Amino acid sequence: MLEIRNLRVSYGNDMVLNGLNLDLADGETLAIIGESGTGKTTLGMSIMRLAEARVQGSIHFNGVDLFALSDRQMRGIRWNRIAMLFQNVNNVLNPVHTVLDQVSEPMVEHKLLNKDEALVKAGELLARFGLSQARFSAYPHQLSGGEQQRVLLAMALANDPELLILDEPLSSLDVTTREELGNLLGEIDGHRAKLVITHDLDTASRLSEKIAVLYGGRIIESGLTQEVLRRPRHPYTRALIRAYPNMTTVKDLQGIKGRMVRPVSGCPFHPRCTQAIEECSRNMPPLTQSQGRWVACHRGGIVTLLSVINLSKSFDSLKAVDSVSLRIESGETLALVGQSGSGKTTLAKTIMGLHSTYDGTISLESEKVANRSKDFYKRVQMIFQNPGESLSHRLSILELVVEPLEVQRIGTAEQRREKAIQTIGEVELPRTEAFLNTYPHHLSGGELQRVAIARALILDPDLLIADEPTAFLDASVGAKILKLLLNLQEHRGLSMLYITHDIAAARKVSDRIAVMLEGRIIEEGPSNEIVTVPKQDYTKRLLGSASALHDLSK
Amino acid sequence: MHISLKKEIKQSHTGQAGIIILLVVIALAVFAPFLSSYNPVQQSTTSLLAPSLTHWLGTNQVGQDIWSQLLYGGRTSLLVGFGVGILSLILSILFGVSSALIGGIYDKIVMRIVDAFIVIPMIVVVILVAAYIRPDLSVLILLLAVLSWQGGARMIRSQALSLKEMGHVNASRTFGASRFYLAWRHIVPDLGIILLVEFIYSVRRAVFIEAGLAFLGIGDPMLVSWGMMMRDAMKFSYLNVWQWWLVPAGVALSLTIVGLTFISHAAESVLDPRLRGEAVA
Repeated sequence: MLEIRNLRVSYGNDMVLNGLNLDLADGETLAIIGESGTGKTTLGMSIMRLAEARVQGSIHFNGVDLFALSDRQMRGIRWNRIAMLFQNVNNVLNPVHTVLDQVSEPMVEHKLLNKDEALVKAGELLARFGLSQARFSAYPHQLSGGEQQRVLLAMALANDPELLILDEPLSSLDVTTREELGNLLGEIDGHRAKLVITHDLDTASRLSEKIAVLYGGRIIESGLTQEVLRRPRHPYTRALIRAYPNMTTVKDLQGIKGRMVRPVSGCPFHPRCTQAIEECSRNMPPLTQSQGRWVACHRGGIVTLLSVINLSKSFDSLKAVDSVSLRIESGETLALVGQSGSGKTTLAKTIMGLHSTYDGTISLESEKVANRSKDFYKRVQMIFQNPGESLSHRLSILELVVEPLEVQRIGTAEQRREKAIQTIGEVELPRTEAFLNTYPHHLSGGELQRVAIARALILDPDLLIADEPTAFLDASVGAKILKLLLNLQEHRGLSMLYITHDIAAARKVSDRIAVMLEGRIIEEGPSNEIVTVPKQDYTKRLLGSASALHDLSK
Repeated sequence: MHISLKKEIKQSHTGQAGIIILLVVIALAVFAPFLSSYNPVQQSTTSLLAPSLTHWLGTNQVGQDIWSQLLYGGRTSLLVGFGVGILSLILSILFGVSSALIGGIYDKIVMRIVDAFIVIPMIVVVILVAAYIRPDLSVLILLLAVLSWQGGARMIRSQALSLKEMGHVNASRTFGASRFYLAWRHIVPDLGIILLVEFIYSVRRAVFIEAGLAFLGIGDPMLVSWGMMMRDAMKFSYLNVWQWWLVPAGVALSLTIVGLTFISHAAESVLDPRLRGEAVA
């Protein structure tokens, strides 16, 4: 019923919507999500033809080109057939009229009903939205925010429009009101086509069947709401979900690196994207469909960085790793959890090529890894369990950190030194001359692990394998290291294989968890699912014995 | 393990004594031209003189100055000793480390060669070969080096095998380091004290064998050495010349070897803490 083609809206030189395409079918609810400033509200205003901007492209509403209509014709459609709930509650209601009057006004205005009928209908609507009769004659300033929102909803629905545009319908409300109104909207209005514009993923999840993610004036991902939220395919969508506090995901919150800039050439997200390639800065990727999802990304969405298929490694008769398959996506953390002796470290070392013979395939960005060249190690780095052992006691901190550059023959001595100092700063270690010249045995465990991390990061790898990076540290220092790794993931898009026996730590830092037992991966899935609904007995045992501060059942 | 070799040797009395002895011997050999006004091979008519102010240790059967011969003989001993020590150490490192890092067939071949050499008594081979080819100084150094690297190579290989599995070596491999880089940057420097012990062991043995060959008269007859001095002096054992001819040469040789032994003993105690006399905090 609604068809938007190549919509461009600009305020002066500021292009807010840039070639947006959108389809909405009868009775469908579509949520448009995105950060503030991505042009969500402008989209709603453009459909209403209320945007005070230069608008190009076309919007067809039930076959009618809205831009071709005269102002008078448009007024007939606006509020009558397309209604919009505005975001900013306080400015919309007229302070000198009672709410009942205001709700009845559009009906009278459009001559659908006479004054009395309109008042009755308005009363019904307000009652359905849960406003008590005593408040009907109140003035807007006498109502709470939640009550005002109910009035506005009643107003928007007064003329029974075919399309309802809801701009942040629940965002300003407290959680219980939000839930109540969300349910009411579903009940009262299940059949109507709705466009829900929101930055709030919860609202989108509650109200919509389909979702479209807006960034830089274009849709970058769309699909079924539940599927998109469960497994986002565009890096931006994933970043949005990671930044959103909720009761579903268990990983620590992460922001999105950088901030939105306009205008940019190529893909609007590429300056903040952690898997951008050169192509991304040149051309705008088209929105293409694959596996029931529309994604606009030159790389086809989040890429699978490392995949391991049927990997086995035996030591004589002992099968340490037994046909393990796993994949790690760009910018995500996979936690490998299992007790000691389950083959976690062997798996990591095999991936790193420290065990020469093995069965199975290891691929890096779908290219099979056969002989590990320097290029492989430039992209995949490892932090070892014991920093004291993995750092040579003979070398100074500076010598240790530049070693990878030295091995890879990157840069001159001066450039290597600069890069080392920069990386040392990045892991929050002092950059003083004295520190650079000190030796590992003068440092604490936490500092050593940071040096090891700096050394692993100096090559700007895409994947970091962290083998129990906090095993030798006390909790407070360990927490800082984990935070550091998460921050690095946010800023560099680092993928991580985080190896640990501690499922409590794993759920805080990982997107997915794989549980390993006796050389096999027995269970794998999103962290929240593994932690809340484990399928295997062993996983349940792991969870049962994980650190807890007090017994919740008592 | 972070033990300072310097500190360890300084703390050990034998180590200190060894270093002092060796430094004195080296100083005497190096400054020989200033400590004696005679050319050690220049002959004169005044043979078999007793010590005097002009000839501190007298002269030998062909009128050469014995003090001067003692000094220059030290040069020969040290040259052979250190020459063989360095060459054989290089060979030991080369074969030991490469065996450990490359492994496989190569490792097996190298180790069988080492075994073969170790079961053959070196001294017999040296005497036979030397008697046959009559080596001059450089050939002698080469010969001894070729015959003495095997033990060191075996020891270095086994140490390198365990170093290879150390965290920091593995870490370096994950930066993409080549075998050569690993060997040069990590394994050889980490061998440290073992290299010193092996080096001194080779030096000591080379000094001893060189003296032995000269004593048997198989060495280069034009070369002044302690072994040859002892051999010549023995012929005149019926005279009392042995007091200032045979004894100084023997004492010099013994002192040198004792000095080297002391140093290697002190160094070994760093390797094996059980050899330490007292607990070190």
